[in-house]
Amino acid sequence: MSLIEAKGLRKVFRQAVKEPGLRGAVKHLFTQRYVDKHAVDGIDLTIREGETVAYVGPNGAGKSTTIKMLSGVLVPTSGELRVDGFVPHKQRMENAVRIGAVFGQRTQLWWDIPVRESLNLLKDIYQVPEDAFRRNLDAFVELLGMEEFIHLSARKLSLGQRMRADLAAALLHDPKIVYLDEPTIGLDVSVKQKIRSFIKQMNRDKGTTLLLTTHDLGDIEDLCERLVIIDHGRIIYDGSLQAVKDAFARERTIHLQLGSELAEPSLLFSDLPEVGMDRTGPYRLAIRFDRFRITASEIVKRIISQADVADFHIDEPNIESIIRRVYEGSLDLELAAESPVAASREA
Amino acid sequence: MKKYVSLAVCSMQNTLSYRLSFVLNFLGSFIALLATYFLWRAIYDGQSELAGFDWNQMKSYLLVTFFANSMLSYYSESGITNKVMDGTVAMDLLKPLNFQKARLAESLGSCVLEGLLSAVLISVLAIAAFGIPMPVDGVSGILFAISMLSSILVKFGIVYCTALICFYTTSGFGVIWARMAVTNLLSGALVPFAFFPDWLRNVAMALPFQGIVNTPTTIFLGMSDTREAILLIAVQWFWIAALWLLGRSMWGWAVRQITIHGG
Repeated sequence: MSLIEAKGLRKVFRQAVKEPGLRGAVKHLFTQRYVDKHAVDGIDLTIREGETVAYVGPNGAGKSTTIKMLSGVLVPTSGELRVDGFVPHKQRMENAVRIGAVFGQRTQLWWDIPVRESLNLLKDIYQVPEDAFRRNLDAFVELLGMEEFIHLSARKLSLGQRMRADLAAALLHDPKIVYLDEPTIGLDVSVKQKIRSFIKQMNRDKGTTLLLTTHDLGDIEDLCERLVIIDHGRIIYDGSLQAVKDAFARERTIHLQLGSELAEPSLLFSDLPEVGMDRTGPYRLAIRFDRFRITASEIVKRIISQADVADFHIDEPNIESIIRRVYEGSLDLELAAESPVAASREA
Repeated sequence: MKKYVSLAVCSMQNTLSYRLSFVLNFLGSFIALLATYFLWRAIYDGQSELAGFDWNQMKSYLLVTFFANSMLSYYSESGITNKVMDGTVAMDLLKPLNFQKARLAESLGSCVLEGLLSAVLISVLAIAAFGIPMPVDGVSGILFAISMLSSILVKFGIVYCTALICFYTTSGFGVIWARMAVTNLLSGALVPFAFFPDWLRNVAMALPFQGIVNTPTTIFLGMSDTREAILLIAVQWFWIAALWLLGRSMWGWAVRQITIHGG
């Protein structure tokens, strides 16, 4: 069942154009000129229950605008949108009890009262039953390590503490869908790790649907199965994370630690000229190969026929370099979605 | 309903956490009260009565005005405006709360403290220093209390609608200052209506602002009989309803203006 359905969703902002200098400012008092900025320019998006979706794109691509429309904060200029059967901006209250959201750069905690009181207030606002509230609060405090700061007011928290408290606040009422807008921005590794494993657990235990925007590719690889890339308000890729890796990260490197010298190194890959072999030390080899021309096991098999293998590991391609190349326009992901490799993976 | 009560309680807590700035703010307006007091005393020097007010009535008028003005102070008003200005309105929209009711709950929450503090101060002043005559019988006392509470709701209606204008102007101070200037004049906070020329008095009586200061002071000073007092309170409630509906339809319009960029 699809939980989120958007068709031709569009948001146009009117921006005032001011000419430079005092002259321009004075002129603007009397005649205003506006240009339309298409922040989100006709996107189609369907998300099923329990999915974990990474929504990525360069700054200003329209990620946050999309999430604000999905959460009922912004009214779409045109297009259709339903979240769990409700139109968010028209049925804002019904939508609000079904969603939880963390906007990394804002807090929904009350600034001047202790975190615990904020959470108590949220309990009343979302009408969470007492026992469910207790259960969730206890679990969250433990998973997110909140004992040390739950009695402090939000203004006294460090960024990492605030983000953890915000996450707890967003999930207290067991929402079906959670929107996380850059939840790990500016956090150190250990806090990031806590937050990620917490989110993963919510998805696993409660089937919480997750839509995540981030610039942190670790978040994506750790949390999401599906990748949606948006640029200039349009979706330029929508498919599984694995398919992108398959299509664009064909080259892998296998590192081997040998127990003895190779008998005939030149004969090893004589039939596959694109396989590169580097000696990285005594008894050490690094072999670069296209994983659709030859499999890792075939390579290892050939090596074993000539020498003992003590140990080996394979370097996975990282998604960061792929996405960077998509932003830069040097990769066309449309092709990826249609390529037979990606298709067979998804099937 | 419970959620709005909790919100009001939290807002009270919030106000308390700024106790120093809250008290300073309050002292500031108290000093302004003293200034007005001495100004009027100078005006009354050698006069037994001006525009139907004797000096004792004028003193009562100043105190009730001060009380009415200390409710929903600049502090709570700028709270609503700031939500619009700095984009935290987005966080409010995420919650299953009616924006207007939530703001009312918060305003009333901090009002309780503001009211309590100024009530204490005024009682001390009224009894100890100035010798202010209290409303004589119980009925007018009750009517005064009702009109005072209604005054808060009228003020909230005006403050709320004004704050929503900020969605359009995207700047708060000008709107707040304009609101304060108009309210001060047309509510009777600056000068009692009795001192106005006829045309201005008629204009003021036809607008909602008079419900904030003029109505409670008129009732407190016993310048209206019971029937007139009830009528004045009915007019307050007409405005409370009208402003609530206006606020609701303005919100429907304002929500479409929201443009929170970035983040």
